[in-house]
Amino acid sequence: MSNGIVENLINALMKLPGIGRKTAQRLSFYIMGMPADEVKSIAGALLEIKEKARFCRLCFNITEDELCAICSDPARDKSSICVVEEPSNLIVIERTKTYKGLYHVLLGALSPIDGITPEKLKINELLERIKTGGEVAEVIIATNPNTKGETTAQYLSQVLKPLGIKTTRIAQGLPIGGDIEFADEVTIAKALEGRKEMTDNN
Amino acid sequence: MRNKRDERTTLNAKNEMLTRTEGLVLRTQQYGEADLIVTYLTLSKGIIKAFAKSPRKTKSRFGSSMEPLTYARISLWGKEQSMPRITQSDIINSFCSLRESFKDFTYASKLIEILISITPEGIPNKKLFSFLLGVLNFAEIQITKNSKLRTKNWDLRNKNKDTMYLIFQVRLLVMLGYAPRLKGCGKCGVKSPDFYPHIGTALCGRCAVPSVKGRELPLRLTDSTINFYSHSIEWPINISTRLKPHHETVSRLSSVMDEHLTYLLGKKLMTSEFLAKI
Ligand SMILES: [Zn+2]
Ligand SMILES: [Zn+2]
Repeated sequence: MSNGIVENLINALMKLPGIGRKTAQRLSFYIMGMPADEVKSIAGALLEIKEKARFCRLCFNITEDELCAICSDPARDKSSICVVEEPSNLIVIERTKTYKGLYHVLLGALSPIDGITPEKLKINELLERIKTGGEVAEVIIATNPNTKGETTAQYLSQVLKPLGIKTTRIAQGLPIGGDIEFADEVTIAKALEGRKEMTDNN
Repeated sequence: MRNKRDERTTLNAKNEMLTRTEGLVLRTQQYGEADLIVTYLTLSKGIIKAFAKSPRKTKSRFGSSMEPLTYARISLWGKEQSMPRITQSDIINSFCSLRESFKDFTYASKLIEILISITPEGIPNKKLFSFLLGVLNFAEIQITKNSKLRTKNWDLRNKNKDTMYLIFQVRLLVMLGYAPRLKGCGKCGVKSPDFYPHIGTALCGRCAVPSVKGRELPLRLTDSTINFYSHSIEWPINISTRLKPHHETVSRLSSVMDEHLTYLLGKKLMTSEFLAKI
C-alpha cells in the first residue's frame, strides 16, 4: 500500500485545531478500521455543514435558514441582546440555560495591531439592529476577558452610549473550582471590583 | 532590584537552553486551540517570539501574564534557532489600566507596531527596553492622575493623550534612529517648510533637485509644527506634558510622521488605519 493516501489524511486532519501529528495518525488508523458507512456519514456531515451552514441575517449565529433558531423563537426576550465574539461563545452561554434574550455575534474582536477595525466586525449591523428594532433595552457585552475582548467592549460602550441603551459587561474574576492562591493579581483585582453584597438566602 | 543571576542562561540534558529575563509583551497571536505565540521585548535578548501552551484556558497557571503590555519575569526553554517555550511568567506590572483605556491601548499598540516593524529580532537593547517601560509607566501615571481629576472634560483629556503619545512616537523614532529631519534643509541647513517623506527630511528649493521634486509632493511644515517637533525631542519626557500645542499642530505632525513611516516601511501602519476609523 502506498503511503500517499494515509499521509494525505494525516495532513488533512492536522489542519484542525488541537490536532498534532500523533493524534492525526491515531485518528487515521482508527478511520481505516471503521465500517465504510460510518466513514461516509462523517464525510457527509463535513460536507453538509460547508454547504448548508450560513450566518443568521440578524444575529450572525450559524444557521441553515435565514434566521437562526434563537431569533425565530417567539419565546425569547427581545429586549436584551447579548454580544459575543464567536458562535461557539453563544453555544456556551446557551448551555447555562439562564439567559432568555437574543444574541449578536461579532465574528471576531477588535485589535489595532492586527488591523481588525470596527467595520470588519458586525458592529454596524448591531447598531442598525438596535436603531430599527426599537425594543432593545439592554445590551450585555460578553466578549472574552482578554485584551481584544476588553478593547471591543470599550469600543461598543462608546458607540452605544449615544443610543441611550443600558450597556452592561459580564463580570470578570475567579474561575469556579479554582483557588485564589493560583490567580494572578489582575484577575483578583477584577474579582474585587465585581464584588456583590451577600444576600440572606435563609 | 534586579538580580544578576536572573539573567543567566543554562543548558539542560536535551541541550536546551534556559533563559530567565524580564519581558514586555508586545503582541500575541493565537496558535491552535488554546496556545499562544507571544512577542516580547526582553531585557537580555531584545525582541523574541516564544510559545506558550494553553494560556487561553481559564484554568491556565499563566493567568493574564501574557496579555499585551504586561511586564513580566519570564523563563524560556529552547534550542538555539527554534522558538522557545515559556515555562514561567510572573507579572511585575500588568499595566492593565492602559489596556482598559481604549485610547491608551490603541496608541500604545501604535508604538509597538512601529517598534516591531523597525527593530530586528534577537538584538538586545537595554536603552530601548527602559524607554518602553518608562513610557508605559508614565502613561499609567497620567491615567491615575486623570481619574482623580473631577473634570469630565473628555475632549481635553483625549487631546492631551494625542499629544503625549505623539511625543512618545517621536522619541521612539529618535531612539531607533529613524526620526525624520524637520528643522532646516537636510543638505544645507537653510530654513525650509518643505518636508519630503520619502527622503525623511526637509529640503530647501535649491537642494530639492528636480528628480526629487518631481516624484513626490512635499508636505508643508508650519513653524509651530517644527517647534513642537523639536521640543518633543529635546524636552525630558516628564516635563513634556507641559507642551500644549494647538490640536491642528498635533494632527499635522502626526500625519507628517505617518507619511514618513509609510515610506520607511513600504506600507501603512495597521494601527494608523485603525485610529483613522474610530
Ligand atoms: Zn439569529
Ligand atoms: Zn538646502
